[in-house]
Amino acid sequence: MEKLTIALSKGRPAKHTIETLEAADMQFIDFHEKSRKLVFYNVDESIKLIFVKAVDVPTYVERGAADIGIVGKDNILESRAEVYELLDLGIGKCKFSVAGFPNYSIDANRPLTVATKYPNVAEKHFSRKGQEIETVKLNGSVELAPLIGLADVIVDIVETGNTLKENGLTVLEDIDDISTRLIVNKASFATKATEVRSFIDQLNNALERTP
Amino acid sequence: MRQNKEKLSNQAVQSYKIKSQLIRKLRTRFATYGYEQVHTPAFEDYDTYASIQKTVNKDEMIKVIDRSGKVLVLRPDGTIPITRLTALDREINGSEQRLFYIFNVYGEQNSNGTNKESTQAGVELFGNKRPEADAEVIALAVHTLKEIGFDNFKLEVGHAGFFKELVDQANLAENELQQLQELIQSKNLAEMEPFLKQLQIRDELQEALYAIPLLYGNPQAVLEETKAIIKNERMQEVLNNLKDVIEVLTDYDLLEHLTLNLGLINNMHYYTGVIFQGFVENIGKPVLMGGRYDQLAEQFGKAMPAIGFAYKVDVVLEALKQHQLIKDDNNPPLQIYYVPEERRNAFSAAKLLREQGYAVITKPFAKNAQQAGILFQSNGRVIVNGNEQQVETNEELLNLAELATGGV
Repeated sequence: MEKLTIALSKGRPAKHTIETLEAADMQFIDFHEKSRKLVFYNVDESIKLIFVKAVDVPTYVERGAADIGIVGKDNILESRAEVYELLDLGIGKCKFSVAGFPNYSIDANRPLTVATKYPNVAEKHFSRKGQEIETVKLNGSVELAPLIGLADVIVDIVETGNTLKENGLTVLEDIDDISTRLIVNKASFATKATEVRSFIDQLNNALERTP
Repeated sequence: MRQNKEKLSNQAVQSYKIKSQLIRKLRTRFATYGYEQVHTPAFEDYDTYASIQKTVNKDEMIKVIDRSGKVLVLRPDGTIPITRLTALDREINGSEQRLFYIFNVYGEQNSNGTNKESTQAGVELFGNKRPEADAEVIALAVHTLKEIGFDNFKLEVGHAGFFKELVDQANLAENELQQLQELIQSKNLAEMEPFLKQLQIRDELQEALYAIPLLYGNPQAVLEETKAIIKNERMQEVLNNLKDVIEVLTDYDLLEHLTLNLGLINNMHYYTGVIFQGFVENIGKPVLMGGRYDQLAEQFGKAMPAIGFAYKVDVVLEALKQHQLIKDDNNPPLQIYYVPEERRNAFSAAKLLREQGYAVITKPFAKNAQQAGILFQSNGRVIVNGNEQQVETNEELLNLAELATGGV
């Protein structure tokens, strides 16, 4: 049996994922939320969990530092990592959307200024539509950008839309659905086929059991 | 400061040495399968390249303008120039040609502008469209992968015709096709389902397309599974072809290294038959890629079946480093020191040893320095690593050199 390394993102999604793994009969006894440890093993040590920053999970998997990663679609899209995306865990559901002032209409004849934490996602979306854009990369409070004239629109994750509403903005169009996904390194899928597949099957069964 | 600089140059020496060892290994192995090396110029005519259909994206080519205003392109791949070379050679008329190349290719692969230049080492087998030719080339790929030192690797084998036949029945728009291709390449079943549902295509076709990503694994088992989704005669031919190739490969005794992957789609659109890529443990991108391209030569005016593959040498080096397969066999050159009156003798000894293949550096003798090597001391005394030795004949000198370095 080859060992599998699974990369998870720290924080809220981690707890949820661990619960799912435990439902799939993979027990991580010494894991508890407040622990500062970054590496955990299951009982027979066939699985090693490593905790990394969410944005780094796709990189860990693409570069083979982990065989499997469990991470939000937002980070997968932004990283443009070449990996297999085999399972939708159906948790952490939200959307990538373009937002701006209500009634704002995009002028196709001039470059649109887009403020976002996700420049790659923004570029891909607008280039598919043939719209030229200029991205302003921000690390937070993106909703502020249209208000102070830094950008025409924003591209961001929208869960409830409350933050947008409170800042006088609204969703102009949706880009992609987001939820937590299971990704696999392409080489691991080939060279550790049995282990990877049985892990996925186990997880999939557990997901189907839970409503 | 100075030490830093020295270390840097050593690293450059070391990494070039590792690269040339790898290249030597590949060159030798390619040759033992009867392949002969060829070379083509790095500059190609842009118009020729741009007119070839189904190939490299024009935006990704690096263009140069020469003095007369003609646009040239730095060759973005190896297969096209080698195919042209072979197609335009009048002497070659349908006879088999086994060629290989090791050279740099150029392109704008990364948005951040790095890696514009990369080395490829590849083989091409022209004039044979039998499954035996496919199997020979795949066997050579496996043989070299093993020889490079990887023990856990897989060659994924697919067929360019499989996806194409299915998708031809679906009549998709260009952007839909692109999206479907991305979903299949990332085996994204979760998003494929809703995507296929909103397309206006027959249910059975939807099911067949949905099955593609998981037509993956043990060749016999996958061939069996695939039978169920065969939709027409052309697809049956594709499956038969794959079956034939796998059968020949069975006699090469390398099925353990093969995985059938019918979700394999190569972005080089000239492939027409069997396609494959090699993965080594933990490295998320293929170290080699190849396949059959029976129609490419027609664009140069000759019908000529062909199959080949190329190693991405830089990815292999990265993998070797990550797998810690790089052996440190850094043999420093033999040092020969001399006192002034023995300079002539030292030089002639150095010449003799160099002709025998030793790396030799000669230096005037300085007292108080750490000096391993051979010292030509005054009064004809010869000192090797601190011990005085007899040197009368050339043979004795060679023995001493061996003593001082541990062989060539």
